[in-house]
Amino acid sequence: MLSDFPGAGIRGRANRKVTMKKEYIVGAEKSLGEIIKDIDLIPFFRSAVESGIPCVMLEDSRGDVLCHWGNPSGEGMITLRKPVYLEGEAAGYVVVRGDEPSRSRIEAAAELILNAVNTILRSSFKSVLATETHMAVVDQSYNELLETNRRLQLSEGRYRDLADTLEKQVHERTEELRQALATLLHQEKIASVGQLAAGVAHEINNPLGFIVSNLNTLNQYVSRFRDMLVLYRSAFENGEFTDENRALTRRKWGDYKLDFILPDAADLIRESLDGAERVRKIVADLKDFSHIDDGDRAGVDINREIDRTLNVLTHEIPGDAEIIRDYRPLPEFTCSPAHICQAFFNIILNALQTGKEGLKLIITTRYEKDFIRISFSDNGPGIPEEITNRIFEPFFTTKEVGKGTGMGLKVTYDIITSYGGTIEVKSVPGSGAAFGILLPVAKKENNVIREAV
Amino acid sequence: MIEYDGIDNRMVLKLVYYGPALSGKTTNLLRLHDMVEQEGRGELTVLDTKDDRTIFFDLLPFFLTAPGGLKIKLKVFTVPGQVKHDATRKAVLQRADGVAFIADSQVSEETNNFESFRNLEDNLGFVGLDIEKIPLVVQFNKRDLGNIVAEDDIRRVWEQTGIPVFMSSAITGTGVMETFRELVKQTYDHIDRRYGLMEKHGLDKTAFVGKLTLPSP
Repeated sequence: MLSDFPGAGIRGRANRKVTMKKEYIVGAEKSLGEIIKDIDLIPFFRSAVESGIPCVMLEDSRGDVLCHWGNPSGEGMITLRKPVYLEGEAAGYVVVRGDEPSRSRIEAAAELILNAVNTILRSSFKSVLATETHMAVVDQSYNELLETNRRLQLSEGRYRDLADTLEKQVHERTEELRQALATLLHQEKIASVGQLAAGVAHEINNPLGFIVSNLNTLNQYVSRFRDMLVLYRSAFENGEFTDENRALTRRKWGDYKLDFILPDAADLIRESLDGAERVRKIVADLKDFSHIDDGDRAGVDINREIDRTLNVLTHEIPGDAEIIRDYRPLPEFTCSPAHICQAFFNIILNALQTGKEGLKLIITTRYEKDFIRISFSDNGPGIPEEITNRIFEPFFTTKEVGKGTGMGLKVTYDIITSYGGTIEVKSVPGSGAAFGILLPVAKKENNVIREAV
Repeated sequence: MIEYDGIDNRMVLKLVYYGPALSGKTTNLLRLHDMVEQEGRGELTVLDTKDDRTIFFDLLPFFLTAPGGLKIKLKVFTVPGQVKHDATRKAVLQRADGVAFIADSQVSEETNNFESFRNLEDNLGFVGLDIEKIPLVVQFNKRDLGNIVAEDDIRRVWEQTGIPVFMSSAITGTGVMETFRELVKQTYDHIDRRYGLMEKHGLDKTAFVGKLTLPSP
């Protein structure tokens, strides 16, 4: 009998809803077939059939058979239906069939099977709910992760764009700054040239003034000489010098104060020549300082370049100031002479402009271990400690607005470092500042000298 | 709403008991289960608890049939209150039709109540529900304990929100039915506006509330 009805249970259309659903909603309605599996029931049903119950089935609320065992179509059999409750509602039926004579046994068996089905159903129901909650949570976490990932990608993209444009912007700003700095450095050069020009103009004006004045005086002297010569020439016209003429010329000689103006003229000429020589020297110093005739690079004597710089600053040196040149012989240093002079110029000018009475500026040069060491130390007011590390910054100035560009020492710094050198400042506020410069002397031609500012 | 099936003429609603850990959400459902007439409800399914703490949820189903034949099933859930189960709370809260917030009256729990309520606001927003519109009642549980926040203070704070507040002691059953009844009333109004419970199905509020809260003899 059993072989006619192999035990494989028939699954109803129970899964129809679940497969349609993508979203797990906690509490979503379930049919009996979605919760209970035939494989869980078969052992019970088979045992029941083996113990003599002809047929056992589980139907869902639609009457679809979820699981059966035994022969459903016996002649004259009775059918017992017991409702199976799910969430309080009848979700299906346990159906037991048997012979009328053994009704009480069938009844007992139906009750037993119902209990078994309910027990299995309860535990399956919990398991399904837990699984679905778990799935809902997993779905939700996954969706949150996707969303987080999407947002991260979005923001990453934004940051990448930002980084790209940032780089471009940085380039643009850097270029702007570079140009601004170049402009300022140029202005600094113009400013120092202007300052130099003002001093030099004064220096040149002075001798020029007395040369012009002397020439005017000489001009008057010369007209008297001419008159005198004309008088003598007419007096000797006839070959003899009459007493009358002698008296005339003597009077004229006395009137023209020629006894005085003749030696004075010689003085005036000598003074004027001296003045002219001073102008010539100033111009020569300027030429030396500016190195107009020199090439971009030359081997220079640093001592001489410091002197040249001092020469053009003569007018800035107060009368009571003392410049002490403590030089030692130095090897040639290959550089742009104009640049190195500019570097010294800015340091020396700063010292001269401290306004200190009885200024003493000691300039020391030494050659030691492949380095030229130069120091400029003064007894001025010194540099306040809090700004010592800022004085080489561009735009940093302690001078009044408009008086300084804040570029002077920056230019010096750039020039010195462009030759691979270093510059540092030591200062004791109240007792002076000392700038120390170290310049590496090129061994042969192998050291690369960067283009100075 | 979990489901509305116009062909089968069936509606499945979801109410959620929310609140901080150990505030008595499960106890509320246990009492409710005992108090309500057996015919109108199913069994309480307590799903996977550990050390008396709910880690998934509890489920208590109710049933009624409208005069017009609409079958209404109302599933009441609790959520796990512990902070770490936030994902489960979000999952349970999805498509809720009403929320009962169960607060713990003990003074020491004030911060937890506050955090949990804020969490409710956040999670309602997360699942696309509006705390201003969803039926909502608040229950201050454990009134039987000492060192609890005074009722006057609670009412003063909550009055301005317009949310109905109930004092309860779920362990003895006090306030449990009142809380549920108010939530069910609000839920009726909410559903009636959209689905015409009275107009289309002939189900009025009194019948709806009466059926769901019919006391067991």
